[in-house]
This record gives sequence, C-alpha cells and structure tokens, in this order.
Amino acid sequence: MPRLEQLAELTGHEDRVWCAQWHPTKPILATCSGDKTVRIWQSTNPQDPTKWQCTNVLEGGHKRTIRSVAWSPDGRQLATGSFDATTGIWERDEDENGDFECVATLEGHENETKSIAWSKSGALLATCSRDKSVWIWEVEEDNDFECLSVLQEHTQDVKMVAWHPNEELLASASYDDTIKIWRDDDDDWYCADTLHGHDSTVWAIDFDPSGERLVSASADQTLKIWRRYHPGNPEGIITPRRGEPVWKCVATVAGQHDRCIYSVSWSKVHGVVASAGADNTIRLFEATPSTAGAASSDVIASTNEPGTLFDVHLLISVQSAHGTNDINSVAWYPNEEHGDWLASGGDDGSVRIWRFLKD
Amino acid sequence: MTTLINQNPIIYEASANNSTREWREDEDLEDSVDLIDAQEIFDLIRSISDPEHPLSLEQLNVTQRDHIQVSDENNSVLVEFTPTIPHCSMATLIGLCIRVRLLRCLPARFKVDISVRKGTHQSEHAVNKQLNDKERVAAALENSHLLEVVNQCLATAT
Repeated sequence: MPRLEQLAELTGHEDRVWCAQWHPTKPILATCSGDKTVRIWQSTNPQDPTKWQCTNVLEGGHKRTIRSVAWSPDGRQLATGSFDATTGIWERDEDENGDFECVATLEGHENETKSIAWSKSGALLATCSRDKSVWIWEVEEDNDFECLSVLQEHTQDVKMVAWHPNEELLASASYDDTIKIWRDDDDDWYCADTLHGHDSTVWAIDFDPSGERLVSASADQTLKIWRRYHPGNPEGIITPRRGEPVWKCVATVAGQHDRCIYSVSWSKVHGVVASAGADNTIRLFEATPSTAGAASSDVIASTNEPGTLFDVHLLISVQSAHGTNDINSVAWYPNEEHGDWLASGGDDGSVRIWRFLKD
Repeated sequence: MTTLINQNPIIYEASANNSTREWREDEDLEDSVDLIDAQEIFDLIRSISDPEHPLSLEQLNVTQRDHIQVSDENNSVLVEFTPTIPHCSMATLIGLCIRVRLLRCLPARFKVDISVRKGTHQSEHAVNKQLNDKERVAAALENSHLLEVVNQCLATAT
C-alpha cells in the first residue's frame, strides 16, 4: 500500500503558512506566512531526513502578509510576493549559510500580489495580483527588473501564475473561474487560450513534467486535467486560431476533496499529483494509461478524450494532515535526489515534510 | 450626513439580552469538549451592530437562529443572513463582521461558511464568493480602516 509518512514538523511561524517552495537543487525549503516573514529551513543531516533547522528568518521586507515565495532556477535568488503589493528579491551572501538581503523591490501592482514565478531559464519573472493583472518582468543585470508587459484580460483577481517547465509559456489562474495561457510573439505578450470549465475560483495550477498537461485546483472542489492539442494533431481536435494549440479539459476529479482546494503539485520526478485544501486532507493521485475492461476500485476519474485514454487513481488520502486546519500549500521536491519528499504548509502555522512510499 | 442605504428599516424585537442557555463556567470546559450549537452561534452574532443603524443584527432580523446550521461533529458552521434590502451595499461588510466575530470566538477547528440567504440580495453570488474567499478576508483584515469599521460593529457584541 502506498503511504505518506511524516518526516518532520517545522514550527516557528506565528501565523498561517501560505506557501512552501523547495530550493531547485538543495534540501532547503522556503516558507512564508501571515506573520510577514519568510523562513528558510535546511536539512541538517543528509542521512537523517527527520532533522531540520530554521537557518534564516527574512524579516522587515514586507509590511503585510507574504503570500508566496519562489526560488530562481539557479537557486541564487528568492522572490516574495506580498499583500503590500510589492515583490521582493532576496539574495544570500556568498557564504553558504549567510544572511539573506533584499536586493530589489518590484512595484507596480495596485494591490495584493498573490503569486510569483520564474521562467525555466530564469530570464523572466511573472507576478499577479488582486488588481486583475499579470505582469511579465525581464530579469536584467545588477538586480534590475524591467516590466515587459501588463496583461489585463482576467476579469477578477489573479490567484496564481505558473510557467511551463520548458517553454516561455505562462498559465494564470483566477477568481474569474478561468485559466489563461499567455505566449509572446516578438516580446508582444498575448492571451493564447482561455480555459473554461471550473465553477468557481481557480486557486492553483501546475504543469506535468512534459508540459503537455496542466492540472488545476478550484474552490468548486474539483481538480481538472487539461491537455494541449497542437495544430494538425492526429486526434483531429480543432485548433481554431492559426498556428495556436488549444487546451482541452480531459478529466475532472470530483467527489474527493469536500471543501475548497488551495494547492496542487504535479511531481516532475514521478508524475504523482498532490492536492490539499480546506478539508484538511492531502491527497495523492496518479494518471495512468487506461486499462480497458480491468475495473479497478481506486479509479476515480477517467477520460475517453481522443488520444488521452487514462485513468486517475487515488493513491493516498491523509486526513487531518495539519490537524483540523486548512492546508494552503503542497510542493513536491523538484529533482531525483529526494523526489519522494513533499512539503506542506497550513493554517496551524506549521510546515511538514512527508515521504511518499509507493509500495 | 450621507444618505442611508436603507432609510427606514423594520425593527424587530430582540430576545432577552442574556442567552437562553445556562451559562457554563469556563473551568468546566477545560477537560470536556465544548459542544457548539446554533443557539451558541446566534448568541455570538446577534448583538453585532448594523454598520448603518444603531441597531443590532437581531433587531433588524439580519440574523436568525433558524438560519444557522451547525455540525459540531463535522466542525462545520453555516450562517445565512438576510440583508435588510436586496441592493444593500453593506451586505459584504455585515458578512465580514459575522466572520470576524466567529473567527475570534469559535475554536479554530470550525470551518465557517457565511452566505446571504437565498434570494435576498441582488448580488448574492458575488457577495457569497467574496465572504468565503479566505485570501480576500485575510487581506481585508490587514486594511486598518476596514478593520476599524468591523471593530466598531463588533464593539456591541456580547
């Protein structure tokens, strides 16, 4: 039986934890909270994954709740998005265990910044806000950030932004119940697709390892899996805009979470999807090729969309993962080294590290 | 003075100020589980002041005990409230006051849903969506001006 075993509970935040993000290459976790701080947690003994310590507390950079954190792809910088409408860029001193210093503050959003994300190459940063806009920033030398584009097609708050794992393609999720896909044409950013289907706020999105699928988590208590169909696709799905792929919902996972789902993470290592939300439960799902005829009791959604015959299985459901508290964030470790690690953050102010055991 | 949204609200009689429930001493609760029911929730919110009138939510019939559902076992509370008029621009603020009151008084294990009673507000869906978006609520409570208004409404809550 697959299991999710708790390795560590990290305490120190004095308010709810909104977001937890792994360093791209090292066993280091950044978390942010309503207590207006970021905490950096490091594994102290590579042989014993239950041993962690808080090495840094980033204070004073923001006047209000820090809603999200994101490491740059090279791990040298950490971006923080705050309800104070700004985005902070932090850098660690040369020394491995040195202090973090705020080296830049990005201003422009009219109110709360909800989410930030670095593109794969590290050349672009995206931010989004309650002001309904998504901003694309170019990362320049000497900690200079130039705003390339302000995208204003969402009709309500933008809750989250996520970059494609390999391409310069951005997805955004909104209180307007849609997801939008953004691309650039010679530095001119435009909305390439709008994904309708959720009945309420879309809180979170994440791409699969290939970037051909996207999972979304919503206040409508469902997860949806979307697939990209390229022009001329063998399945014959129509791509109405010339040269432009379309995204189509190929599976809906309903009847699992029974309150709002706040976070979803699609492992880039083993492809398992983790989701969590206001029902206090962490769930792990796996999409596998459909085994026609072989009825399996744990199949909770399947699709017969052209070219995408797969079943979604529920692997694990961990109730009360943060006691009776909402879980606001789940994040898989980003590489092979500890690909079975999952971090979570909740309204109890705690951060937890879990290990996924598949057998 | 600014014009009131509802200039002439109907006033209902409030029940006796103390709860119909027997008061339990805090000491007794230390070891036992504190069971919460609709009456208890009603007692917490009935004396919240209306943002516009010097009257309580109970006096304006905005809150009623029968419009509260509680499952102590499932840690869930649903409060439905009735704006005095269908275009009441104060509906979100009233809902926020109810939410903050329960946030401060109820054990953290409870999940609270707050909504406008069906058919009693023209922007019902929008109001409900906003009141149940925890991120918006968290951000609103960091707005010192708004928090002051909420605290004024809650000053009368007993």
